[in-house]
Amino acid sequence: MRRIALVGMPNTGKSTFFNRLTGAATRTGNWPGVTVDLRSAKILLGAEMVEVVDLPGIYDLQGYSEDEHVVRDFLTHNAVDLVCLVLNATQLDHQLGLALQFSQLEVDSLILLNMADEAKQLGLHIDTDTLTKALGREVRLLSARRGDGFRETKAAIEHHLASATAVQIGAAVGEFGIIDALSGEVQALYERSVQAPAIMTPRLTERIDRVLLHPWLGLPLFFLFMFLVFQAIYALGTPLQDGVAWALDGFRQIVLEPLEPHVPHLVYGLLVDGIYDGVGTVASFVPVIILFFFMMSLVEDSGYLSRAAFLMDALMARLGLDGRGFVMLLMGFGCNVPALMGTRVMRSRALRLLTMLVIPFSLCSARLQVFVFMTTALFTPRQAPLVLFSLYVVSFLAVLLSALLVKRRLVSHEPFVLELPPYRLPQLRQVFYRGWHEVRHFLHRASKFIIAGVVLVWLLTHYPVANPPGGPDSFAGMLGQFLQPVLSPIGISAQMAVVLVFGFVAKEIVLGSLVAMTGLQGAALSGYLAGHMSWVEGYSLMLFILLYTPCLSTVATMRTESHSLRYTAFSIVWALTIAWVFSFVFYQGASALL
Amino acid sequence: MDSVAILSHLRPGDRVVIDDIQADESVRRRLHAMGLLRGRQAQLIRRARFGGPLQVRVGSVDLILRRRDADSVHVTPLL
Repeated sequence: MRRIALVGMPNTGKSTFFNRLTGAATRTGNWPGVTVDLRSAKILLGAEMVEVVDLPGIYDLQGYSEDEHVVRDFLTHNAVDLVCLVLNATQLDHQLGLALQFSQLEVDSLILLNMADEAKQLGLHIDTDTLTKALGREVRLLSARRGDGFRETKAAIEHHLASATAVQIGAAVGEFGIIDALSGEVQALYERSVQAPAIMTPRLTERIDRVLLHPWLGLPLFFLFMFLVFQAIYALGTPLQDGVAWALDGFRQIVLEPLEPHVPHLVYGLLVDGIYDGVGTVASFVPVIILFFFMMSLVEDSGYLSRAAFLMDALMARLGLDGRGFVMLLMGFGCNVPALMGTRVMRSRALRLLTMLVIPFSLCSARLQVFVFMTTALFTPRQAPLVLFSLYVVSFLAVLLSALLVKRRLVSHEPFVLELPPYRLPQLRQVFYRGWHEVRHFLHRASKFIIAGVVLVWLLTHYPVANPPGGPDSFAGMLGQFLQPVLSPIGISAQMAVVLVFGFVAKEIVLGSLVAMTGLQGAALSGYLAGHMSWVEGYSLMLFILLYTPCLSTVATMRTESHSLRYTAFSIVWALTIAWVFSFVFYQGASALL
Repeated sequence: MDSVAILSHLRPGDRVVIDDIQADESVRRRLHAMGLLRGRQAQLIRRARFGGPLQVRVGSVDLILRRRDADSVHVTPLL
């Protein structure tokens, strides 16, 4: 099969072109020689099936960043028939160096000057014939967003493929032009081929930036936007999540439960309480992931994410993070799972891992449910909101502390340089693709892990004896007993330890497990909690629940996003340690004072 | 050419010519690739508050870079 590699700098609309070329049928997978997942799609071009691979954005074929390694490794380990090099037509003074590097490779390339519409608006006149002659490669204008020139581009690709031969670039890729050395050539070529108006009209972007990056207004506006985005995601997401839960529960009651007497106990339990509920857990995340990425694509595609990085970087740099990490962290207060997936915008692995380590400390909406119930049960109506607020403060403290402690071990060696793209109206088509793609990614990668975890917890709480589920005679109960030496110093009883086992799967089932274990509901359960634990024990338990691990889905996402079981294990151990230390300091301190 | 200033010390609106980047190979190459090349003109657009990053316009591109990285960029101011 023929293979096309899509290469280009970040912010050139490479992904827009990829989506337009391939439609929605993309997959994410592994490639020889490359450690990260790459997006690809098989499409019919002319009479042939062609595989199109979207490589990460790079600035320099010789560069040292991780993405630049990935592109080199891909091209030296996989044969490619054609490279489509996507450049931003409005920034050719910066981008022709990359084109010169590719023109020196053996492999055929087609150079696409994307955003031709914007270039025209800016009054740039680009002479593609001169460029084609100078580079020895066909150069075409294109607007992937609007589709102008797309059909001709597709025909050109077919034409190139008809005569192309697959080339696996030799390891000597390192021998070709160095950007610095090419700069004279780039400048000369740019002057010959591009006519720019003498005075560039002050762009709309500059006027918007005067407000949005204003020294005093910038940050308040940023927080306002984040608040609105957050509200939009969860105001729309919560009813959808409830709807999914309602539908799954209805199916369970109407279709599955009547089957119970006719099916062996073990089989029913395994299939319904285990696997079906596991599927339900996975499904409950789908609406919020779609909405999250819908909003994130708006923020990112509009160009605002880089502005957020500009505004927040002063603080985040001290924590070893960057300004974009702050956005993900805030989103984590809704749900940690999409926030972890969102860190993919960070291209430095160390930076990304550090951000992923701190996101799970964000008090997400599932934990909030548990805390609202517990604070109302254990505190007076006047105290409860303050207690809840203190948990948010602790959540931030855990983020700060973790970042400060771990940042030395996860130092990003890449300089922090980001492009500030002009503001653009997001294309709905792109936004839709993004949400769809991320949900598929989540379902494909995380669902097995989550279902297996739910089944495991079901087994732990129902065997060997389940009376009640998670009672003292179940494996979970035994585990609770076994953990007493560790948990009693932080004021957590064996019974509550079982709640932690349930809570590991999802915070949404913490209250349900309490109901099942005590046989009490609502006000009666509140009374039971108030009667069985002091407020100090209760607060210590809440601290532990807040910090120890968000849920199985977060762990599964951590694993798929970090591509490392070791790092995932580290993040769990780290969170458990932080949780235990916070609870210990609080419980022992408060017990000593009172 | 004598460099008489450092990019990170400029004030908003200042226009300069880039002379040299004095940093490790990997940092230098990344800054080169982002368009900070010897002989190019650049302009400092704004500085973020609280010691945050700088917004620098190089040719057709606006970049944000941290002061620490901008410390390594030697420039000659244009009048």
